[in-house]
Amino acid sequence: MDLDIRRGEVFCLVGESGCGKTSTGKAILKLVEATDGDILLEMPQEDARTYDEARTRPDDPRSREALDGVRRKYSVTWKENLPWAAGQILIFVLAILAATFLAIFVPSLALGVLRDPFASPWPIIGFCLSIGLILGSVGSLPPTRISRRTRVIVALLTLGSVVIAPVAVLFIHRALTGDTSRFEVGAAMASPWAEDPAAMILGLGLAVSAAGGACALLLDWRERSEGLTGIRMRSIRRRLQLIFQDPYESLNPKQSVYEIISEPLAVNRISRNPEETSASVREALSDVGLRPPEEFIFRFPHELSGGQRQRVSIAAALVLQPDFIVADEPVSMLDVSIRTEILDVMMELRSRRDLTYLFITHDLSLAWVIADRIAVMYLGKIVELGTTEQVIGHPMHPYTKALISVVPSPDPRHKVERIILKGERPDPVDIPSGCRFHPRCPLAFERCGWAAEEVADQLRSLKADGLLAGAGDFEVSEAGTVRVSVGSLSADALVMELNALLSERRDAYLPLKGIAEVRAANGAIELSLHESSEPPLLEIEPGNFVACHLVTQPAPIGPSVTA
Amino acid sequence: MAALLEVRDLTIEFTTKAGIVHAVEGASFDVERGEALGLAGESGCGKTTTALALMRLLPYNGRIVRGSISFAGRSLVPLEEASMRAIRWKEMSIVFQGAMNSLNPVQRVGRQIAEPIILHEDADSDVALKRAGDLLELVGISRNRLNDYPHEFSGGMRQRVMIAMALACDPKLVIADEPVTALDVMIQAQILDLLERLRRELDLAMILISHDLSVLADTCEQVTIMYAGKTMESGKTMDLFTDPKHPYTQGLVGAFPDIRGPRNMPEAIPGDVPSLISPPSGCVFHPRCKFAFDRCSNAEPELSELAPGRRAACFLYPEVTEVPGRSMPIATR
Repeated sequence: MDLDIRRGEVFCLVGESGCGKTSTGKAILKLVEATDGDILLEMPQEDARTYDEARTRPDDPRSREALDGVRRKYSVTWKENLPWAAGQILIFVLAILAATFLAIFVPSLALGVLRDPFASPWPIIGFCLSIGLILGSVGSLPPTRISRRTRVIVALLTLGSVVIAPVAVLFIHRALTGDTSRFEVGAAMASPWAEDPAAMILGLGLAVSAAGGACALLLDWRERSEGLTGIRMRSIRRRLQLIFQDPYESLNPKQSVYEIISEPLAVNRISRNPEETSASVREALSDVGLRPPEEFIFRFPHELSGGQRQRVSIAAALVLQPDFIVADEPVSMLDVSIRTEILDVMMELRSRRDLTYLFITHDLSLAWVIADRIAVMYLGKIVELGTTEQVIGHPMHPYTKALISVVPSPDPRHKVERIILKGERPDPVDIPSGCRFHPRCPLAFERCGWAAEEVADQLRSLKADGLLAGAGDFEVSEAGTVRVSVGSLSADALVMELNALLSERRDAYLPLKGIAEVRAANGAIELSLHESSEPPLLEIEPGNFVACHLVTQPAPIGPSVTA
Repeated sequence: MAALLEVRDLTIEFTTKAGIVHAVEGASFDVERGEALGLAGESGCGKTTTALALMRLLPYNGRIVRGSISFAGRSLVPLEEASMRAIRWKEMSIVFQGAMNSLNPVQRVGRQIAEPIILHEDADSDVALKRAGDLLELVGISRNRLNDYPHEFSGGMRQRVMIAMALACDPKLVIADEPVTALDVMIQAQILDLLERLRRELDLAMILISHDLSVLADTCEQVTIMYAGKTMESGKTMDLFTDPKHPYTQGLVGAFPDIRGPRNMPEAIPGDVPSLISPPSGCVFHPRCKFAFDRCSNAEPELSELAPGRRAACFLYPEVTEVPGRSMPIATR
C-alpha cells in the first residue's frame, strides 16, 4: 500500500479487524519489520516527486540511484547499501594483523622490559602498531554503527599509534642509549620466543583470542548491517510515538505515574538531571489535563480511573515531544463519556503541538468526526482513500458503502438500508484472486476475478439444490476452466440448460458471472472464465482514490454466452 | 393484558468489605411480548446487575432488597430456587456479556447447545442434538458444524452459537448483555440482524443491554437509561433519542458521533460515575449535571411521567417553570 500522511493532519485507517490496520501502524514505527517498501519521514515535496517518478521506472539505473538518494535521506526502513564485502574484509585483515602483532610483541615487550628496558625499542613499537590496527578496524566500521565524532576520534588515535608513537619511541630510545646502529627486528622478535616457552603460550593465546574477537566482530556486523540501528533510529524513534488501545494493559501496574512518564526520557537519554525530568513529566501531565500534576504524579495505575489511565499513556507518548503519533484504537476500550474527553485532549494537543496523528480505528463514526482524511483497508490493501467527506460522505467502493451502511446511528431517524456482507473476512494466507473483496461483494461483476474453484463450488451447490440435475461432475482443469461432465442429459441439452441458467440466475448467484463461455468439447462441457486483474488504486477525483473495477473501468462485459 | 415482564421498584444491594453497594435502586420497567427493551448507561450503572436479578442469578453477596419481578403472571422474587430453575432457560434465558469466550473449549458445540435441552426438557441426546442442529441453522450456521469445537469458530460465529444456546428451550424472553460489544462492525450488523429476525420469527421478547446507544437506537422499541443504579429516563426509542429530556440522556446521546449527522465533535459528560457505596445526595447525577441547581443536591427527583410512556427523573420536569432564570435544556441534536 501507498500512503502519504501530511503534517498536522489526522489520518484515519479504518477497516475490519485483521485487515492490517495495526500492522501498518506498527510497521511505520518499526515495531514490526516491513518485508519491503519504504517509510519516508519528513520528505519535502520535490523529493517526494523525484521518488514517485523514479519508482515508475524501477529498471533505469539513474532512477535507482535517485531512489537510493531519497531513501538514504528520509527512509526509516533504509537498509544501508555500502560495499559490505570490501569493508568486512578490510576490518578482518586489520584485526588479524593486529592480533598477530600483539601475539608477537606483547611477550617480547614484557620480557624485554623486565630484562632491560632500553635493550630494544621494537617490542614497544610493535605494540603501538597493533593497537593502531585494532583502532583502525574499529574506525572502518560502517557509518550506521558509529557516529561521525567517534570516527574522527578513532582516526586520530589510529594515526597516533601507527605513526607518531613508533617514531617517538624510536627517537626517545636513540636519545637515551645513543645507539644509532640498525636493529635486527627479526632477532629482537624471535629471541623471547626461544628463551621463554611461557611467553610463547601467552603470545599464542593472545593471537587466538584476538582472531576470535575479529570473527565475532565480523559476524555481529553482518547481523546488524541491516537497517537503521543505534543512533539515527533512536533520534527518529523519539519523534514517532504510539498510544495503545487498552490503558488497563498498557500501563505497568508496578510503576507510579512518574515512573511511567519519565521512563521514555531515561531510555532516550533526554533529560540531563532530575529537575528537568520532573519538569517534563509535570508538563506532560498538565497537557493531558491531569491537573494539578502533583496530585497524580505518585499514584499507581490502580488508583486511576479508565480515562485517567489513558491520559497517562498519552502523556507518556507526549513527553518525548513527538511529531507523529500512531494511535491504535485509543478510545475503543473506554466508556462513552470518557471517550469524548480523550478525543478532546488528543485534538487539543494536535493544534497546540502541531502533532500529526495516524488514527487506527474500526469505528467509522469516530473517523467521521475526527479525521481529515481516511483510508479504508480490506485484507491488507487500501480500497478507498480520500478526504472524510469523500470517503464517508460519498463512498465509491462497495466495501466502504457496506461498512458505512452498517454503522449504527444514535438517531433513530437516520435509518438506512443496511448492506450486510455475508461471511467474515477471508484468510490473509489465501487471498482471493482478482479483487480480493469480490467473494463478499454484492456488486461483483464479470471482471472481478472469479476463480474456477468458486464457479465450480457454485455449480455444485446449484446441483445439490436440484437446478442442474442433468450435469455430472464439476472439475477445475489445469488451464483454469471448469469442466462439466455429462450426466443424464446430452452435451447439447446441458449446454442449453447452462446457458439458460446463466442468463436467468447470474444476478442471484454472482460466481456464475465469472463464466465467459460455455463450450461443448470432447463429450464434456468446458466453461472458460473472464480474464481479471486486481483493481489498482486509481485517482477518480482529486485526492480520492478507489480500487474497484466497477468505479475505475466499468466497461460492461455482456454475457458472451454462445451455444 | 399484563406485560410479559413487569419489574417494579427493583432494588439490589451487594454487601462488600468496603460497605453496602447500592447497585440498583427502584428500577421499574415492562417488557411486552415480542418487544425489545434496551437498557443503556455507562459501565457500573447497574445494567448487568438488573439482568442477573431478573434471572435470579445474583452472586452470593447480592440480594434483592425490595421490589417485584413478575414474569408471565408469576412473581419471581419469592420463588424457590427449584421453581426458578424451571423458568430459567425454558422461559427466560440470557446471553452473558463476553459469552462467546465462555464456551467450553474441549466440548463440541453441538453437545453444548444440546445440554440445556437435555437438562430442561428431559430429552434424550439424539433428539437434543437434532434440535441443536436446527438451532444452529436458525442462527445461520450449517448443521454440519455441530461436531466442531469452539476454537474452529470465529468470534461472530461463537456469538451465534451462544444465541442458539439461549434459544434452546424456546424461551419467551431473551436477555442479551452487550451482545455485539467487541465484535467487528460488519459482524455486529450480522448479529443485530439475526436478533431482529429471530425476534420477528419466534415472537421473542428481548432485553438488550448495551453501553452503545446507537446499537439500541437501531434495534429496540423501548429504552431505559440507567445511571448509578437509578433509572434516569425511559420511553419509546424514537422519542427518547430524538428529544432526550434528562440531562444525562442528553449527554449520552450527544457523546456519540453520528455518521449520518453533521461532523460535530461529540460532547463529553465531565466527571466519573460516582461510587455506589456512598452515592451523592439528592439526584445522583447532579455533580456532573450542567443544569444542576440547589434542589438537585438536597432532594431526589421521582421518576415521573412526562407524556404517556415517557418518564424521567429530573427536577427540570415537569416543574420547569419553578426554576427562575433557567432556560429549558435543549436537546443537543
